[in-house]
Amino acid sequence: MRDLPTGPALLALARDVLLRDLLPVLPDEAALDARLVASSMAIAEREAEASAHAPPAVAGELEKFYDAEGGETASLLRRLAHDLRTGAFERSGPQDDQARQILWQLTISKLRLANPRFLAANGFR
Amino acid sequence: MADTASPPFEPRRERRAALAQFLAGGSQASHVEIIRLEPLRGGAIQENWAIDARFAGGTLAGEQPLVLRTAAPTGVPASLDRLQEFAVLRAAFAAGVRVPEPLFASEDAEIFGKPFFIMRRVTGTAAAYRITRDPVLEPELPGIAERLGRELARIHAIRPPCADLAFLPAYQDARPEAQIAGFRAYLDRHPVPRPVLEWGIRWLEDHIPPPVEPVLCHHDFRTGNYMLDGNRLTGILDWEFAGWGDPHEDIGWFCCKGWRFARLDREAGGISDRAPFYRGYESEAGSPVDPPRAFFWEVLASVRWAIIALQQSDRYMIGGERNLELALTGRRASECELEILMLLDPNGAPSSA
Repeated sequence: MRDLPTGPALLALARDVLLRDLLPVLPDEAALDARLVASSMAIAEREAEASAHAPPAVAGELEKFYDAEGGETASLLRRLAHDLRTGAFERSGPQDDQARQILWQLTISKLRLANPRFLAANGFR
Repeated sequence: MADTASPPFEPRRERRAALAQFLAGGSQASHVEIIRLEPLRGGAIQENWAIDARFAGGTLAGEQPLVLRTAAPTGVPASLDRLQEFAVLRAAFAAGVRVPEPLFASEDAEIFGKPFFIMRRVTGTAAAYRITRDPVLEPELPGIAERLGRELARIHAIRPPCADLAFLPAYQDARPEAQIAGFRAYLDRHPVPRPVLEWGIRWLEDHIPPPVEPVLCHHDFRTGNYMLDGNRLTGILDWEFAGWGDPHEDIGWFCCKGWRFARLDREAGGISDRAPFYRGYESEAGSPVDPPRAFFWEVLASVRWAIIALQQSDRYMIGGERNLELALTGRRASECELEILMLLDPNGAPSSA
């Protein structure tokens, strides 16, 4: 049990202070770095928030796809990467479709953390 | 190149003196005074320094705004060294491509600590977000896209063999087969598996177009690498990746989503739709753009951009280069992966995603 406010909440507040209070008084040549710091804080905040909740759905999908309940996500992802390199599912329509669905899920879940604005600009929520 | 970063270090006085002497020697001036020498922001791979120098006599008599270009502390693979980049810039300048005029080069580490070259400093901005969302520039952008198409065709008019560019990597090295092998070798060393890239690379492997007569490719021809002063194109920059290749590789790179900045909907570099860019290219090249071939290279561009993004963050993760911009760039690989899926999966995202 940690004290409040939570780490993500502190990051959000710190980012707000950076952008609203500090950025306007920083010299022009420091503005880009300040924005990069703010972007980094936003990513860290979203990642901390996400890891406090359930593991991403893609982990479950991978376990189902490889029939490997409780399997380590990183090694299942490595296996998927290898199978896609060798075209392992190209002769099986359903497996190919499922694999592609996992690719979409994986990519969208990463972008929700790294760059939700880019996701929205491409028509994804 | 217009923005000035906070100086990482002040070059020692003897370096300034050595540089002044070098400039005097190159221009036959009796004396050169360096009025300003400070780093310019914007080169993720190379380091650029603004120089204002006063030349007494010689070929550059008077006050001249110049740029010194040298290597950043850590580079990425596959980039030319500064003397080679200088030679490419000279070839482009001679072919009538709008580039900053290259003036002198030196590999003498006694002058600036590492090899460098000097070119004229052109006016304007290369800031891509500014260019792609400036309402004043808006009506000019289709004309700029057409002009860029013509410039690209002029670059592609430079063909091998070319004695001054004998050092350039062979066309075979830029063929998709070689690039695919390079991508896979990189991914094999990368700690995080990237299944989307593997899937995209597999598609590339199955759709390699037949070889063409190679041309000089810029290999980083995109918004962010040209300078605009108002609506005037003042220079095409950053030639460090140049090499022989398929002309459609540059077209695919210019149009790929990774280089559209504030305007993802404008397929030609975020500044216009493709028509003016293709029109300018075709009018100068005298041959049509082949859309399926451009599509192949655009998919490859997204894969290449993703790999470069990962390599940039490696410079922090592995190389220890303390640079937040580089560290964050690795996160952009997923943007390229989304684009690969959007380009290649006709079914689109499943509702569960």
